[in-house]
Formats: sequence, structure tokens, C-alpha cells
Amino acid sequence: MISARRKNRGQQTSDSGGDPVSVSIAEVQARQLVCVTGKVTRMTARPTSGQPALAVTVTDESGTVTAVWTGRRSIGGITLGRRVAIKGMAIQRGAHLEFTNPSYTLLPR
Amino acid sequence: MKVIIAGAGSVGRYMAEQLQSSGHDVTLIDNQVGIVNNRPKDSKRGVTWYLGDACEVATLEAVGAADADVVAAVTGDDEDNLVVSLLSKQEFAVPRVVARVNNPKNEWMFNDMWGVDVSVSTPHLLTGLVEEAVTVGSFVRLLSLEGGKARLAEVTLATNSPAIGKEVLDLGLPRESTVVAVLRGGHVVVPRADTVLHAGDEVLVLVTGGAEDDVRKALVG
Amino acid sequence: MHVIVVGCGRVGSEVARNLSANGHEVVVVDRRAEAFRRLGEDFAGTTMVGVGFDRDLLEAAGITEQSAVAAVTSGDNSNILIARVAKETFGTSHVVARIYDPRRASIYERLGIATVATVAWTSERVLRHLLSVGSTRDWIDPSAKFTMVERRVPADAAGTSIASLESAIAGRVALLHRFGETSIPAAAMLLQEDDQIHVIVSAGNTDLLDQQLHSEGGH
Repeated sequence: MISARRKNRGQQTSDSGGDPVSVSIAEVQARQLVCVTGKVTRMTARPTSGQPALAVTVTDESGTVTAVWTGRRSIGGITLGRRVAIKGMAIQRGAHLEFTNPSYTLLPR
Repeated sequence: MKVIIAGAGSVGRYMAEQLQSSGHDVTLIDNQVGIVNNRPKDSKRGVTWYLGDACEVATLEAVGAADADVVAAVTGDDEDNLVVSLLSKQEFAVPRVVARVNNPKNEWMFNDMWGVDVSVSTPHLLTGLVEEAVTVGSFVRLLSLEGGKARLAEVTLATNSPAIGKEVLDLGLPRESTVVAVLRGGHVVVPRADTVLHAGDEVLVLVTGGAEDDVRKALVG
Repeated sequence: MHVIVVGCGRVGSEVARNLSANGHEVVVVDRRAEAFRRLGEDFAGTTMVGVGFDRDLLEAAGITEQSAVAAVTSGDNSNILIARVAKETFGTSHVVARIYDPRRASIYERLGIATVATVAWTSERVLRHLLSVGSTRDWIDPSAKFTMVERRVPADAAGTSIASLESAIAGRVALLHRFGETSIPAAAMLLQEDDQIHVIVSAGNTDLLDQQLHSEGGH
């Protein structure tokens, strides 16, 4: 599902109208607007400071990445095994990359 | 480092000056024309001023939030500071977001829910410092880090503290804490495992998780 | 229904009066007591002076998971704070926030908060959001056989394809609004929680539509 890859650094935001680059999960770089597709392989509740949060691990053939939604315990349709597309800006969290409140699209199986 | 500061009041301007003189690339954003126009004419080279609303994605984009290392949301308005923090973290993946808490009642929101890594509540800090100055023998929280997950606290050891005469190693402090410094007679003692504590020592500890109670027991009793 | 309206401006006061007249229990919050004059002498609800994202105030206003909250102050930032506190701290599911800046609106929609932008800004739209299963209609055709209604997709219906919903209700999903973008959805698209859909359906089938959206389907 890889379309034309463009080198796209610089000023892009999730909602600026800049187009996200479709990449495999292994190619995701921090601070680049990307779109990845994969399967939900893990879901964890990650409450912090008394507020709920949901961490969802998405996996494709190349690797895994985590998407975190703050303030929610669940998202309709996001279940183990579901195929999803995630569009957002990944942030470096220690050793791994994470999306915070990204846009998502549920995909048919 | 590239630093963006939202809010060019006295706090923002002070920060800008300090950071710029340490060699960082600083941009100050404010949406009041008067403030931006009346910026000091001998403004140090290197501080960029930008007129705009930092709560708008377009403004953050224009000042290069996409490659900023730090965004400091230090306006006099907590709502603005929270929104700037959220946008910085979520839309621009800024690695470090620092925000100022004006009203302590709002402090509970200044954490990763709004993209805040470090919050500073001046009233809280001041109270803490006052407490620290006048109280001996109690556990004073100074600063919250990592969205509330870690706290810097201070205890001035009273004469009846269980820690007196003990080596740091023998304090029985839980794993989720560490003694950062010991202030003694105007000097900073960098603590080692065999540093012995005395009455009157100001012990600075970093505490994570739920370790506060155990740390309090070890230092206060 | 218990509704908290924060911001007693033109729209806030209209929404509050409307809801109260329809028998709902309404609490209106504003920072300034003078604003409550817009409610009129015979307003049956309660008023509270204060800041709408203050947890103590919301508690005092009687907020529960079953409440509805309309964040309709003149400040986008306040409205988002109010909406998030209501939703995330108190678990209130019927929350709508007024947002002037459409660009910010799409960002907040990713947080799962229903936003109503100024252009489409009427008290009627706010009401429609709060009373999600309602009898409000966007449009009814001249023959009165068909109607277009707006609905917010609940979590239970997430994963249903447009095609299967359309076939179940014998209608069409004309428009889908998601994360700040509106489109004419393809048949294979799957509905997601918080999607706003405009559905054309025969006038008698709006209940069927609501049933389909609120039943727990296997998707």
C-alpha cells in the first residue's frame, strides 16, 4: 500500500492540508506527517494523573508503532485484529515512536 | 536549541533573554500589537518576535514549531497555555512542552492530557519555597515533572528525623526515588551512598510513582 | 434530561430557554451574572456564576454521565476545556463545543468532541447535538415522503459499512463529516464513532435508522 514516497520534512501539520506520506511502519520518522496501515495487535489502558488514555499498537509486515488517544477508554471499532489506517505526526517517546490522538480510518478486513 | 515562547509578558521576555544569551534560537509570540511594537529596541540579536495568536496552528507553523525543540506556553491565561501545549505536542510533535500555571486550581490539567511535559505554577512554587524556608521537618513539594509523574521535593531534617546520622545508603529509600542533593551550611553536597546526614540538612529528593509516603517516613518519620 | 449550558450569550440563552421550555432540567453557567438577564424572567432552570471547566462547579451543577453539556462561550479555548473536562473527567457523553476556528475544530474532533462551527451556528444545531436521537430534520421533500436527518454515529455502530446501513434503512448516507472533512461517502467506507452523517431516508424510517445506529451489531 505504498504510494509515491516524497521527502517531506519541514512545516507540515496533521491538519494543515499538507498531504501525509504513506509509509510502512518501519519508515516512520518523528515529526513527519505520515499515514500507516496495519492491524491492531494490542490495546492497553494507560491512565495517567487520574485521566484515562488508550494505547493501541498497530503492526504491519515491517514493524509496530503505538497510537495513544488521551481521555478515552475505548474507541468504537478499534479491537484486536482490526485493520486501521493512522494518519498523524509521530513523536519520539524514549526509544520508540508514538502518535498522539491521530486521525484513524477503520478498514474492511 | 530552538525555543518558541508563547506569551511575551515579563515571564516570557525574561526567559527569552536568558535563553538567547545561552546561545539558543528564541522566538517570542504575542498577540498584542502594543507589546510586539514596543519591544526593546536594543533587543538582543537572535530573539525573533512574532505577532499572532499562538493558539492557532497557522501561527505555530509560521514560527517553525515543526522543528522547535521546546515550546514554552507562558501566557497569563491558563486556557491559552493548555491549548498551545496541546497543539505543540499533537500537531508538531514538539519534544518538550513547558507550561505555566496561573491559577493553581487548574494545575490538575497541566499534564500529558494537554501535551504538557513540565508545568510550573508560580504561586505553588512560591508557596513551596516559603514553606521550605520556614518549615523544618516537613515534606515540601517543589516541582512537578513529566506531566506529574515525577516530583522534586525537599525536606529540612528536624532533630528528630530518623535520617539523622545515617548514610544515604541506609535510609531505606524506595527504588522509585533518589536523593538529588543535600544543602548544608550554604554548600551543595552531592550525595553519595556513604554521605551521612545531619540535622538541618536540606535534602532534595526526586520521587516517582507512589513512593512519596515511604520517602516521607524515611526523612521525616 | 439534565443539561448544562456554559456561556449565556445569544445562542447559549436561546438553547437554555428552548430546552427548559421543553421540560429539560437546565443549568446555565456564565462568568458574569449580568448575562443571565438574557434568559428572561420566567426561566425555569438554574443559573450559576463561575468558570465552566472548574470541576467543583460542574459537580455543584449536578453533572453526571447522563447529562448533556453545551460549551458555547465566546472563547474557543474555554469551550474546548469545558468539553474535555465534561467528557474525560465526568464521562459525559453528550457534549458539544462551539469553535470559531475551523482548523482547530478538526483537531478537536480527533479528541472525540462534537464541534459546531460558527458558519453553521444556530441554537437549533446545538440542540440537535445534545438531543442526539431527535425529531429534528434538515429537510423534507415536497411530497413529504423523504426526509434528510443528521445523526452522530455512536461507538456501537462503528465498523458498519455505509452500504449495509443504507440497505438496512432503504436510504442513502448523503454526507459524512469526520475529523473536519466532509465527503460523500463510498459504499465500502466503515462508519466510525463520532462521525456526523446526513441521511436521506423515507419519512417513516427515521426510527429504523436510530435503531440501526444504536444496536450493537457484529461488524
